[in-house]
Amino acid sequence: MRAFIKSSGVISPQLTHNITAFPEQLHEVNDNRLACLEPDYRNLINPLLLRRMPRILKMGLAASQLCITRAGNVIPDGIIVGTGLGCLDNLEKFLMDVINNNEHVTSVLPFINSTHNAVAAQISLLLKNHNYNITYCHRGFSFESAIQDAMMLIGEKQAENVLVGGIDECTTDFLLLHSYLNAWKKPLSNLELLSDKNPGTIAGEGSAFFMLSGQMEPLENGVVIEDVHTFFTPEGADLKVITSEISQFLENQNLSVHDLQGVLLGINGDPDHDDCFYALLREYFHNQTALYYKHLCGEYYTSSAFALWLGSVILGESQIPRGITLKTDIAQPIKNLLIYNQINNSEHSLIFLHYGRL
Amino acid sequence: MGTRVFVTGLGIISAIGNGTEETLDSFNKLKSGIGRLTHIKSLHDNIPVAEVAFAYNDLLNIAGVQHSLNIYTRNTLLAIIAASQAVENSGWLNAFEKRTGAVFATTVGGMDFNEKYYKSLLESDQYKDFINVFDSADCGEKVASHFGISRNITTISTACSSSANAIILGSRLIKNGKLDRVLVGGTDALTRFTLNGFFALEILSPKGCTPFDRDRNGLTIGEGAAFLILESEEVADPQKVICEVSGFANINEAYHATASTADGFGAAMAMTKALLSAELNPSDITYINAHGTGTEINDLSEGKAIENVFNGAIPRVSSTKGFTGHTLGAAGAIEAVFSALAIREQKALPGLGFKNRMPELSFDPQLKPETMKVKHVMSNSFGFGGSNATLIFSKV
Repeated sequence: MRAFIKSSGVISPQLTHNITAFPEQLHEVNDNRLACLEPDYRNLINPLLLRRMPRILKMGLAASQLCITRAGNVIPDGIIVGTGLGCLDNLEKFLMDVINNNEHVTSVLPFINSTHNAVAAQISLLLKNHNYNITYCHRGFSFESAIQDAMMLIGEKQAENVLVGGIDECTTDFLLLHSYLNAWKKPLSNLELLSDKNPGTIAGEGSAFFMLSGQMEPLENGVVIEDVHTFFTPEGADLKVITSEISQFLENQNLSVHDLQGVLLGINGDPDHDDCFYALLREYFHNQTALYYKHLCGEYYTSSAFALWLGSVILGESQIPRGITLKTDIAQPIKNLLIYNQINNSEHSLIFLHYGRL
Repeated sequence: MGTRVFVTGLGIISAIGNGTEETLDSFNKLKSGIGRLTHIKSLHDNIPVAEVAFAYNDLLNIAGVQHSLNIYTRNTLLAIIAASQAVENSGWLNAFEKRTGAVFATTVGGMDFNEKYYKSLLESDQYKDFINVFDSADCGEKVASHFGISRNITTISTACSSSANAIILGSRLIKNGKLDRVLVGGTDALTRFTLNGFFALEILSPKGCTPFDRDRNGLTIGEGAAFLILESEEVADPQKVICEVSGFANINEAYHATASTADGFGAAMAMTKALLSAELNPSDITYINAHGTGTEINDLSEGKAIENVFNGAIPRVSSTKGFTGHTLGAAGAIEAVFSALAIREQKALPGLGFKNRMPELSFDPQLKPETMKVKHVMSNSFGFGGSNATLIFSKV
């Protein structure tokens, strides 16, 4: 099960939509939420459609459009979206309409737009694409399930090119509700996220789409997703379980931890959440360059899609951007990179990237 | 391609019963589950629905879980009840004896608690313990924890085809050698959110749905959950095999956000591709469990598609939604269980509510359970966003 990352389109809290390289300047915000820096949608989506379009659909359609264009306008043989919370803003809107107006609903549009598969469905509709179409909505597994599905489609020869996206939006209500659960830090510079030792993290959002392909030609080398794996620990993250899952995952590739030059970690600044990452760095990842990313995109269920983009840039350009390194242990370039993320100490995911031949 | 995938366990709870025996009994007695709304308060309580007979506390008891230990939404309780039956039915010992995963499906998630507490939560944190049960993943994680499943857990949400897609993914995970065994299924409880959504879309039947009838006037919302245990041919106990998942297709009609084409282009495409994947001819299909919601457009579109695909030799066709209502994200799994039962019992299942043939169609739906040689059963599930899925189950 392998797939080449042919192209990407990323809308994130960094200035990522207009370029494929890493932005020269990191975007700094003094807040406890990071909102996407959005493009001028009129250049990417028919303005007639834009008028009543929910924001998450704009983010999804625009990022997927960027990705498809950069892939040379290939027709995707599958369209797969992972979204932790789906079209949350419209779900909240319709819910409040039902509650506040005593079921005398004023508009049905938010109901239609609240459907979790709205983004994937709209992409198919705009492309008039009848191929495989699916949406995964499972918190920290949503995007990973999407990649796994895409890679199986390619392996089954059902597809050569598959459009895969990870998308989530942050809403005011979501911020409020999760503030009751002490999810967020006090406003701070996102670039100082790891220096703050108080509980909580910084909220984020993003829309990252990739064209995964079973074909690399005419290129000889490129960024390849070798495999993806998820595991669930409802009783909390246990270091032994995590290292054993990682070892087994690498062993399935006939590799061991010594074959990794880099790890990209989902550290988010919350001490309780980050414990397992620091323990891994102390006891397992001895000889790897360790990188982190959530200070750039914030915490959200499909942040691993942003991490996949960042990982593909690091491998593709064979250089590590400034401001994302936790420790550098070796001088050799990164050819094998493991992305490890976990959410709530219960949903863990591993994505293994390799730079080389398909 | 890949190993064969067998169904070794079935579990179901819907408006026509808890468990496969009650369900079959309702089919044999032509007893519909459509009635009045009782478990939630709504302005639209004059519109018929297909509720599961049990109130929340009864469901807690049946599921055998304690409210003091965990927060269970109605959605989750329905899922635990149906999944427990499937697990038991399959001879499951524990989650570790075989490489086991779980694929869930839902559209409403914990909406029942969401509509109860959301407004208050915008004012204060009094009900903060409920916040984490609102989303679509909570149910799947509670069920996975309940059975000790820890790898390859996910939730699909493609509107009304969600759980058909869960069965497709589960089958592919096995065929790709990722897993030996998968718990697959879906659950959707009745909520004010969905009731109002479909009411505002003006597609709820004021009298109860009558699929494929000339005078049909809309769908009836139901609720329920169904789960299946899928296992690879290599690990399945031959004594437990009920049928095989022999074919499937997922396509997008790419026509409209909520409607389907009048000629059934997308429905025909899904059925045709499923037949191809099963390497079967249309004439091999004994019985079609249609999507058949009872809306004017669905039944026309699907009916036309069936005529086109089966071209003059139409198998037995029924929509069981006259019994269960439209259970949204659970419908694909509920009807997959019906399809498996049709094979196990060697019976074509009936529909309800039909009086007059649609002028556009050349066939009537099946009206009574009919004992016959049932070899291959097709099940259709079509959702918002043009999300169409067709499954084929075969006798082994």
